[in-house]
Amino acid sequence: MDPTEYLTMKDREMEQKLRSEAKALLEQGKVDCIIGFEDGSLKFTTTPLITGDKDDISRLVINPFIVNNLSVYLTESKGRVGIVTKGCDSRSIVSLIQDNKVAREDIVIIGVPCPGIIDLRKVEQLVGKDRDEIEGITREGDRVIITVDGNKKEFPTREVLFDNCLGCELPTPQECDILLGEPVLPASEEDKVASQEKINSLKDIAPEQRWEFWRNEFDRCLRCYACRSVCPACFCQRCFAEETEPQWLLPIPRGQDNLMFQVIRNIHVAGRCTDCGECERSCPVNIPLRSLAREMYEIVEELFHYKAGMDKEAPPLLAAYEAIDPEDFIR
Amino acid sequence: MEQVTLSANMNKEDSTWEPKLLGFLCRWCSYAGADLAGTSRKKYPANIRVIRVPCSGRVDPLFILKALRLGFDGVLVSGCHPGDCHYQSGNYFARRRMAITKKFLEYMGINPKRVQVSWVSASEGAKFAEIVTEITQELKEIGPNRVFNDERQGNGTEATE
Amino acid sequence: MANKKINKKDVAGILDQWKQEFTLFVPSRDEGVVKWAKWDGADTTFMDWYRNTTIPSKAVFFPPMEEMFSFQKDGEGYHIELPASGEPKQLIFGIRPCDAKALAILDMTFSDAYEDPYYLARRKSGILIGLGCTNPCDSCFCTSLGSSPTDSANVDLMLTDIGSEFLVEAISDKGEELIAKTSAAQAATEADEVRAREEVKAAYGKVTRKIDTEDIKKKLPSSFEDKDYWEKIATKCISCGICTFLCPTCYCFDINDERIKSQGQRFRSWDSCAFCLYTKMPVENPREERWRRLRQKVCHKYEFYPMSFDVIACTGCGRCVRLCPVNWDITQTLANLPAQEQIKQEK
Repeated sequence: MDPTEYLTMKDREMEQKLRSEAKALLEQGKVDCIIGFEDGSLKFTTTPLITGDKDDISRLVINPFIVNNLSVYLTESKGRVGIVTKGCDSRSIVSLIQDNKVAREDIVIIGVPCPGIIDLRKVEQLVGKDRDEIEGITREGDRVIITVDGNKKEFPTREVLFDNCLGCELPTPQECDILLGEPVLPASEEDKVASQEKINSLKDIAPEQRWEFWRNEFDRCLRCYACRSVCPACFCQRCFAEETEPQWLLPIPRGQDNLMFQVIRNIHVAGRCTDCGECERSCPVNIPLRSLAREMYEIVEELFHYKAGMDKEAPPLLAAYEAIDPEDFIR
Repeated sequence: MEQVTLSANMNKEDSTWEPKLLGFLCRWCSYAGADLAGTSRKKYPANIRVIRVPCSGRVDPLFILKALRLGFDGVLVSGCHPGDCHYQSGNYFARRRMAITKKFLEYMGINPKRVQVSWVSASEGAKFAEIVTEITQELKEIGPNRVFNDERQGNGTEATE
Repeated sequence: MANKKINKKDVAGILDQWKQEFTLFVPSRDEGVVKWAKWDGADTTFMDWYRNTTIPSKAVFFPPMEEMFSFQKDGEGYHIELPASGEPKQLIFGIRPCDAKALAILDMTFSDAYEDPYYLARRKSGILIGLGCTNPCDSCFCTSLGSSPTDSANVDLMLTDIGSEFLVEAISDKGEELIAKTSAAQAATEADEVRAREEVKAAYGKVTRKIDTEDIKKKLPSSFEDKDYWEKIATKCISCGICTFLCPTCYCFDINDERIKSQGQRFRSWDSCAFCLYTKMPVENPREERWRRLRQKVCHKYEFYPMSFDVIACTGCGRCVRLCPVNWDITQTLANLPAQEQIKQEK
């Protein structure tokens, strides 16, 4: 993959800085391991690079496709770790610190001010071609140039960003040790509203039909548990779905059981889910999981004025209480 | 894994249908309150099945979903009044958890009347009887729980209430 | 039998004719997910966009969940009832050579020590209409595994796209019988044959991803001992089940009972060796660490399975490469296997 195809000057500068900082961290013994991104084996794809070897550092990249939430690797990492962190990822890290799963002193947060990640599914839909049939995707500020069959087509960048990137509340990590570039501002109100379009259209469905809608979606679910595996908030050693005494849930991918799994999963991560969108991205059968996760996020905000991963000193939502917590629903 | 007979195949108009209510009562307050209702000979419908838990804070929303999955028409979680929890703060955690659970299930399309929470102290036998009577009546009005219907008929049979 | 051809415009009519005898499955898109679904009787636009299904073809014969039998308490014992025999005579229209080869591999597994009645009944009465690829993905690597985008070895009828028509080759007796009674099929001309051969050659050249099976054969057995290598490879894996569930040759399943008072059902459902709990036993879990599971997965496909069945349990369909959330790439893992001399013994 030719990096000049899609790297902006900003990306390149951040990349250079990242490589020199990461190398220094390893050489000075400040960290045992660096977690970042390198070029993937497919076009317009990156893959996590987890290494303690300073010779691997030159493979680190910054580009519009660094989508993974790398904080999911923190719960298993040993020793001190330097981790490449976008705004959303930093919230997941803060959430893990709040849960005492990760000690702040054990991580060096290398912050990436993130202008948004490009959603390849959206690009494919816009140009009517699959990812491997597209020759180039270049981002130039608020425009994206997509090259197909030698022809360049231009689109507003906001049309190809992930929905949660479009409405991003924290593009630049607050909790951060090294910042690789100039901070990026949060999304405008207009973009925030646009980013919720898909989710809000679900609220237009009458309650009785909403369950039917979700039942239909979850008929496709295979119970691959990718949503759970990719989620930094899901770090239970033994998930309730795999408990056999008692067996809450049969592991068979029946629509109603799949739905039950996802509903409970969302309730269990309430207050720790930062709406990073990884669950929806990794789902191989395109179930709109973010529409559930985001709803829970909104409920938490509405009821408790709480946003996950914003304050590392705050107690986790469900491990705390206030005298004035709402109880109008209690008889 | 036992399963309660699904009342999903019955209708609310069916005179023989009785809603099944599952109650999670905290051992120190609500369960004692229910006991008091009994010893005081307060009448309340026999639709409720009780599971005693040490504290309302023990109740994982998983239990509520599981109860609905098994076929219960409604679930009641009852604990001590705020400030009176035998374990100091269990009911406060329950309050947060139940608030989130109720709202989320409502968003999914489950009738909020199916998930109920109450504070019943050990001396509130009458209140307990009253709550169970009211909830049972509400469940009778909204009909059987078809949320997790195993057979999905193609003729548009409602899967939710 | 001489080759025939069918016009793309006649496909709807032909499917209609075949529908009288078979349960017809065609590629269909549901929220962007391509899978085999029963033909709705009208839509043949899949011919425009179809490359390969997301959900592999094994799902038609070995579904993600199925009932094995139901049981009912009967005095002292149990009365067992098998499910009503599923969809009889399933026809898959447009299966790709990689998936067809995968089914042939699954046939070996499911008829080995024990003949799996559920799978084999469906396979026996089923019929595969293969469709050669004209547009392989960049994740495909079938050509390295003794197959090709137009390999006709494991289907009943093989279709090759020659523009406005499909060339039809009868591969099996079942296929021959079917095409013989398909009225819309005409005789293929020499020009059609020439065109087909050109398409086959072009498609072969479009598969750019390669692995070296000879090299793998040499290095994989000894690489088993290289803990460092497998640990490095496995660090980014998150142990979901996507690669195994979407793999057309993976066949592991779990069995569970669901009891409702005095009756119940036994189900089987897809299971994955990538899951931590796969090998968990009361005393220990021999594959507790992720690198052990990944090593096993790769070695099973490329070393252990061939030891019993003489074929690598991978057909190069590329789904695992395309759909892994962290872009773990089996072709890279296989290309970078340590040579025997480089290996440090596992402690």
